[in-house]
Amino acid sequence: MREVQLPLNQTQKVRLQAALQQLQDSSAASVTVSDTIPVNQEDGVLKGHGTIELDGEVVATLCGVVERVNKLVYVRTLRARYKPEVGDIIVGRVIEIAPKRWRIEINFSQDAVLMLSSMNLPDGIQRRRTAVDELNMRSIFEENDVICAEVRGFQHDGSLHLQARSQKYGKLGRGQLLTVPPYLVKRRKQHFHHLEQYGIDLILGCNGFIWVGEHVEARDNMVEDQENKPEQQISQSNQRSMNLEEQESIYTPLATRQNICRFANAVRVLSTLGFNLTVEVISDTVDFSTSLNLDMHEMLGAEFCVQIAEKEVKRRSSISKKK
Amino acid sequence: MVGLSIGEKHFIQGGIAQDIRTDGRKRLTYRPISVETGVIPQANGSARVRMGATDVIASVKAELGKPTPLQPDKGKVAIYVDCSPVAAPMFERRGGEELATELSVALQKCLLGGKSGAGAGIDLSSLMVIEGKICWDLYIDCLVISSDGNLLDTLGAAIKAALSNTGVPKVHVAMGPSGDEQPEVDISDEEFLQFDTTGVPVIVTLTKIGRHYIVDATSEEESQMSSAVSISVNRHGHICGLTKRGGSGLDPSVILDMVSVAKHVSEQLINKLDSEIAAAEAYEVES
Repeated sequence: MREVQLPLNQTQKVRLQAALQQLQDSSAASVTVSDTIPVNQEDGVLKGHGTIELDGEVVATLCGVVERVNKLVYVRTLRARYKPEVGDIIVGRVIEIAPKRWRIEINFSQDAVLMLSSMNLPDGIQRRRTAVDELNMRSIFEENDVICAEVRGFQHDGSLHLQARSQKYGKLGRGQLLTVPPYLVKRRKQHFHHLEQYGIDLILGCNGFIWVGEHVEARDNMVEDQENKPEQQISQSNQRSMNLEEQESIYTPLATRQNICRFANAVRVLSTLGFNLTVEVISDTVDFSTSLNLDMHEMLGAEFCVQIAEKEVKRRSSISKKK
Repeated sequence: MVGLSIGEKHFIQGGIAQDIRTDGRKRLTYRPISVETGVIPQANGSARVRMGATDVIASVKAELGKPTPLQPDKGKVAIYVDCSPVAAPMFERRGGEELATELSVALQKCLLGGKSGAGAGIDLSSLMVIEGKICWDLYIDCLVISSDGNLLDTLGAAIKAALSNTGVPKVHVAMGPSGDEQPEVDISDEEFLQFDTTGVPVIVTLTKIGRHYIVDATSEEESQMSSAVSISVNRHGHICGLTKRGGSGLDPSVILDMVSVAKHVSEQLINKLDSEIAAAEAYEVES
């Protein structure tokens, strides 16, 4: 995500510095290159990534945070590239349709691959993919579509294999895609969040792509009537050739759109400040902004940003007090 | 620029129709503008303007030169834009040259007026030293560092800020023995004349998407546009220049409507810019 520089005036700068200072004091030991890592030399320490032994001392070779696990000491960098693991939920964009597969861009060093056999067919029947299925791949996903999938495994060259066999995966429409640094999204049990009181879907992709959009009910294709399906297919193809008036009648409703914009702005502010993105933090930010009666676009202003930093300081100090 | 899916395009168009854009702005709201002046100490004047994620730097250099025979009582101004490859992937190597020439021409039309010099937003007669012999040449160079839509407005604002930061050195002229010889000029290092920028116009770009116009489009919104009209308006509400981009045609009544909307928007923009420039200059003096 592009770093948005905030036009802070003098008092706001002072407040932001104070808040960030308090947040840093409570965190773990951070080191820069050639800092000595304090280590108890009597235990045999294992020197892990980012460390080197120099003149009997353990010295850091990277800038980051020191992590200790039993006897292992290593330095974890902060601005790491996305490190995929099997089972991660990913949001990506289709960039190419290749024989029997789609190539997906996921903010990683290489493009991921979604095989045709890892994707449910529109008619829902489990069968072998024929040549006709291959020719109709574009009717499932086109170029530039935003999709949601899961990491199935790694190929031999390090690129990812994805699968989208469940109903909750698939094409995403009617919403917006945001890009944040991948290290801000931690792995949790749930990445799909359906926020009922706002009527929106929030998908936190582990690769740093965040989708905020209208809620779509996950349909089970096999249960539906045969009659309903032709109607849906006709409505989808008509969308492309509809004129302006008909399209206007199916725009997202106003209240949902306001909620989508508020959530998107909350994600933007939190990623500018570098805070971890979880559903609780994002919802808190949105509730805070509505309680202050802020206009949606004022959420991206300097004043709100500083207030969020101060609020985070209060939250962390209250958590540490409870401990 | 990466493409957008049909669902996303529909979302953007729906937002503009319902007056709630993707970041919550209304159709006629600008992104937060931040101005820094004096960023290039070696230049006579410079400024850096950020509108959201769009970031440009403008610098003004003044050199002594000879005025053109057609206009012996006016100085010369040259505007040049460079799109740095840092700004966007499509500007790699020579990809940004076409856009840069288009922006330079549009800025010259909006700020410098016609061939005879009439209608110029920048007062060229103030750049005169000795009529017919010596005048100041201003070279305005702009660099686009980050491109997220609405480059023309940001460049116009940067040029206005850089010109208000410009100090043209005072010149002491010693007349030579006869009128034909080149007079001696002594360029003072100490005294400067601040350039008068109350007449410099701002540029307001209106992008037409569907049936509505928006101001300050991001690059996603610009990819959906049918046409865009850039209008430069000065403080008195007079139109100093007009440029139309985009493939689709516009009805004349639409253009007149756009001009009136631009006049209305420009009042707030001029006030906001003036206060930001004053704040930036005050901050520069302090530090």
